[in-house]
Amino acid sequence: MARGGPQRLQLREREKRMSTQEKVKINKLPTGVPGLDEIVGGGLPEFSFNIIAGAPGSGKTTLAHQFVFANASAERPALYFTVLGESAIKMLRYQQQYTFFDPAKLPDSIRFINLSQVVLEKDLGAVLEEITREVEKANPAVVVVDSFRTLVRKPQSDMDLQSFIQRLALFLASWQATTFLIGEYAEEELRDNPIFTVADGLFWLRQTAERNSIVRKLQIIKLRGQDSVPGLHTFRITDAGVQAFSRTFGLTARKRNPPGDRRLSFGVPELDEMLDGGVREGDSVLVAGSSGTGKSVLATQFIAEGINQGEPGIVAVFEERPEAYAERATSLGLDLETPQKDGKLTILYLRPLDLSVDETMQSILDAVEKIGAKRLVIDSLAGFEMALSPGFRADFRESLYRMIFALTGIGVTILSTVEVDESFTEFPFSTYSISFLTDDIIRLRYVSIDGQLRKIMVVIKMRGGNHAKDIREYEITSKGVVILGKRLTEYQGLISGVPVHSDRSDSKEEPSQGPGTGKKR
Amino acid sequence: MTTHPKTRDLAHRLLAYEAVVGKTSEPSESATFRVYEKLRQGLGEFAGVAGFQSLASRALVLAKTEAPSLSAVRVAADGSLHGLGEFEHQMDIDRDRAGESPAGQGGVILIARLLGLLLIFLGESLTLSLLRIKWPEAALNDCNSENGRSA
Repeated sequence: MARGGPQRLQLREREKRMSTQEKVKINKLPTGVPGLDEIVGGGLPEFSFNIIAGAPGSGKTTLAHQFVFANASAERPALYFTVLGESAIKMLRYQQQYTFFDPAKLPDSIRFINLSQVVLEKDLGAVLEEITREVEKANPAVVVVDSFRTLVRKPQSDMDLQSFIQRLALFLASWQATTFLIGEYAEEELRDNPIFTVADGLFWLRQTAERNSIVRKLQIIKLRGQDSVPGLHTFRITDAGVQAFSRTFGLTARKRNPPGDRRLSFGVPELDEMLDGGVREGDSVLVAGSSGTGKSVLATQFIAEGINQGEPGIVAVFEERPEAYAERATSLGLDLETPQKDGKLTILYLRPLDLSVDETMQSILDAVEKIGAKRLVIDSLAGFEMALSPGFRADFRESLYRMIFALTGIGVTILSTVEVDESFTEFPFSTYSISFLTDDIIRLRYVSIDGQLRKIMVVIKMRGGNHAKDIREYEITSKGVVILGKRLTEYQGLISGVPVHSDRSDSKEEPSQGPGTGKKR
Repeated sequence: MTTHPKTRDLAHRLLAYEAVVGKTSEPSESATFRVYEKLRQGLGEFAGVAGFQSLASRALVLAKTEAPSLSAVRVAADGSLHGLGEFEHQMDIDRDRAGESPAGQGGVILIARLLGLLLIFLGESLTLSLLRIKWPEAALNDCNSENGRSA
């Protein structure tokens, strides 16, 4: 008889019971910080004991205030203990400037208690005693000690800091309070610090100067009881307080849509034909070409055709203002004003020079979410990169990859334009080495023919599709991009930009080598 | 530079409230003293003793420029007020009996200066919230904002 059969069964039954009945449910509290709930895995675990660490000015107090204002109520108030350091009056003077600060919550829901006198005159035991007394009196849901690091700098007292923290953590957990200790710590102090072992959650805020910009990053170094998103997340401090930008853009939990067969039209029939019926829904398309080749025109036609088909769209522009973008569309006979008024189109102008990649991406994602966009145009990647703070440019490709992966996964079709340095000896697709990010590449370029600078278009790549291999001449007219005639057969070396007239110039045009006419060559 | 009329009005209201309440609870203390002590307790809790002491000292210096009768008054290290004296106390009682202001001019100015500093640093909304901790029953809502340096 096989050993352990019935025991294994019992064990499975026990595990099943545990999973359905006995496992304690940990409530998740809103952090009050936009974006942070997603990063910490849905909210902060109730009754957890957390440390917010970082250098002065990194936003620790503001983050704690946001949590306090989001969770305090008259029934379960918040106690905010200030120790040494920033004057409480000045702290409130500045903190009330943030939009989350609700003065009506003071004093019933939020009480500020200053412990500096106890710290100065007595020892840590007395500090603990004072906190205990106030907590027992108020029965708070949230307790903050700002800054507990100043306690460390106090000369040796009867109770050491580690013991103080341990007893405080024990006491506050028993009193069902979610706690934040705030402390100024340098990065190197993180290692082997016994104080951090007590904490259930450790939030690390850092800011570094990179060239002329400040880059703020947040890391959840530790969070017991639930999965947080690993890595460094960008955050910004605005009038609304701290805003965090998850590296996953909040889209990890979303179900990915399987790629469908639906084709999206460009509104340029010949180009749709070259693409075997249009762009596959959920694809990422790159339109590459040098200045003036009509990348933006093609992108505008793509978005306008989407609106005609009932597919809301977003255009993210970096090099011209939305009004100018819409005006240019009007000159092509495309109305972008009405759909903007109807909520079917958003033209995002993202130009500030100190944007982080993630917050730029977040702006795009918010806009996509808001109007249920099906098409997104990023015009252009070069402008996008230039709009970023220099410190973030190194992350550009990685972040772009994350955003494209996330958005195409939920069925949004993305068209990005990219300017390439035109050379008459090479045929580059992009200076960003981002062709791996794209499913489809359409290349536009100038060619010198018969003493004229003309334009040609070719579909370089179409993932999983049978695209045309034709090189087609096109013009930019008052109707936008118009493809002329059939493929150019009388010239050789077109993609070099300086083609040579072939001997077949007097021969009849050959039939198009498009989809349905044969395999790729 | 004098105290703003609205701030002075707020000070009056607190003093009047304490004059009525104090008649039965602590008749031996002046309204000025009681208002000051309540402010000391309420503000000391969140600003700390040193925080309150520094605010009160500043308020007293400003008040003395308007009310020379406060020349003997001083703020101790723990933030308590010394030197208001029996004269001030007697003046409070006499004025109260005559139906006049519940506190001497110096007392009103001192309290108004202290409130003025709070309004400058914290704004009206937060200041009134803090005052309601100690005066939950008093009508305090008519104070207009005064966030500048004119207090």
